[in-house]
Amino acid sequence: MTPNPSILAVGRALPPNAVDQETLIAALSAYWGARHYNVERLAELHRAVKVGVRHLALPLAEYPALDSFQRCNDAFLRVGADLGEAAVRDALDRAGLAPRDVGHLYFVTVTGVSTPSLDARLANRLGLAPGVKRTPIFGLGCQAGASGIARASDALRAFPGQVAVALSVELCSLTLQRDDASVTNVIATGLFGDGAAAAVLAGGERPAAPGAPRVLATRSVFYPDTEWVMGWDVVDTGFKVVLSAKVPQVIEANIGRDVDAFLAEHGLDRAAIRHWIAHTGGPKVLEAFRRGLGLPEAALARSWASLRDVGNLSSASVLFVLADLLDSGEPRPGDLGLLAAMGPGFSAELVLLRW
Amino acid sequence: MVSGGASGEGLTGREARVAAEIRRIAREDLGLEAAAPAGAPLASALDSLALLSLVVAVEDRFRVALSDEAAAGARSLEDLARLVAARAAPEAFP
Repeated sequence: MTPNPSILAVGRALPPNAVDQETLIAALSAYWGARHYNVERLAELHRAVKVGVRHLALPLAEYPALDSFQRCNDAFLRVGADLGEAAVRDALDRAGLAPRDVGHLYFVTVTGVSTPSLDARLANRLGLAPGVKRTPIFGLGCQAGASGIARASDALRAFPGQVAVALSVELCSLTLQRDDASVTNVIATGLFGDGAAAAVLAGGERPAAPGAPRVLATRSVFYPDTEWVMGWDVVDTGFKVVLSAKVPQVIEANIGRDVDAFLAEHGLDRAAIRHWIAHTGGPKVLEAFRRGLGLPEAALARSWASLRDVGNLSSASVLFVLADLLDSGEPRPGDLGLLAAMGPGFSAELVLLRW
Repeated sequence: MVSGGASGEGLTGREARVAAEIRRIAREDLGLEAAAPAGAPLASALDSLALLSLVVAVEDRFRVALSDEAAAGARSLEDLARLVAARAAPEAFP
């Protein structure tokens, strides 16, 4: 039997415009003040999401000029290509591979659109092989980082001698709906940040790299009739966030059962998992995930740290947390890890790893 | 004057008018049908985002800033109406 695919490396790229939460609150208060009487209540919402800093796609002063979907999306393509390229190059350098080694490119995003998709621009910039199989995926939201790894590993089971890259580019700040003064939009504006991350995976026939976890199995879980839980309403000004307060409830009610069923198929249980790599949805989502699985507080420390340092990067977040874990050198041979992310559908993607 | 129904018991006329306006905001502006039943505990009728949206909309409408403690202490829509009536300037009244 062919060995399982492995994750050779994860690369990251953040835009240079780091802005702390209080500076953002001050900037946004000008917009809120025109619509709301008690601006301090909205500022408190931004403090409650436990985000310290966001790295913005553009300098703060350039946001007021983004007054149309076209301007936002143009900025997404320009900055997204830079960040996507940087993330892929970082990942390939770490893996000791070149762009021409990439056989499959899974590109995930939910914060900008184009045809040809951003991965085509990157194929030119990076010099990918003409035979590269491109799969752009739009719409899985925060779940897509985990799904990118899962779909890339699926492909490598069919092509065990090849290399796949799962790239996430999310520039959430460019989706800001400045005239939507709803509480939901205020929370989203406080929580989501910008960044890109790329995972390089190798098929099982390729030489094993020391310290690289193997993807033992993946599991997609779709929750019927929960389309209303989160997503976008596409409006004239772009993507308007749909975010139900029920998100934590849906996660807490389902995650334990779904993880148990997945692990049981491999003769495992929760206690066997040493590393939990969870999407940094926000304080309530992380708490729901922890409670649903009965985990100690420390189990999700890397997700909390990532939330504080960069905010919720949508699909890139779980890749950032995985990169932090790989950098830590903490995993030992034989350790098991579970990477998990949830997103619009509502649905979840689970990835079982073994070092 | 006391507004009709068990929920309105103990409300002054001013408070009852504020309560009616809050009920209208919840139903018409925010689409929160669940907030409308008289006397229903707000925390069980509304999720956290909806409750927060209602408090923000009420602050905007009556031009009052409610402290977190005061807003959290409003167990029913009538409690919220009393809180607002005690703080709002007369010109903000319906």
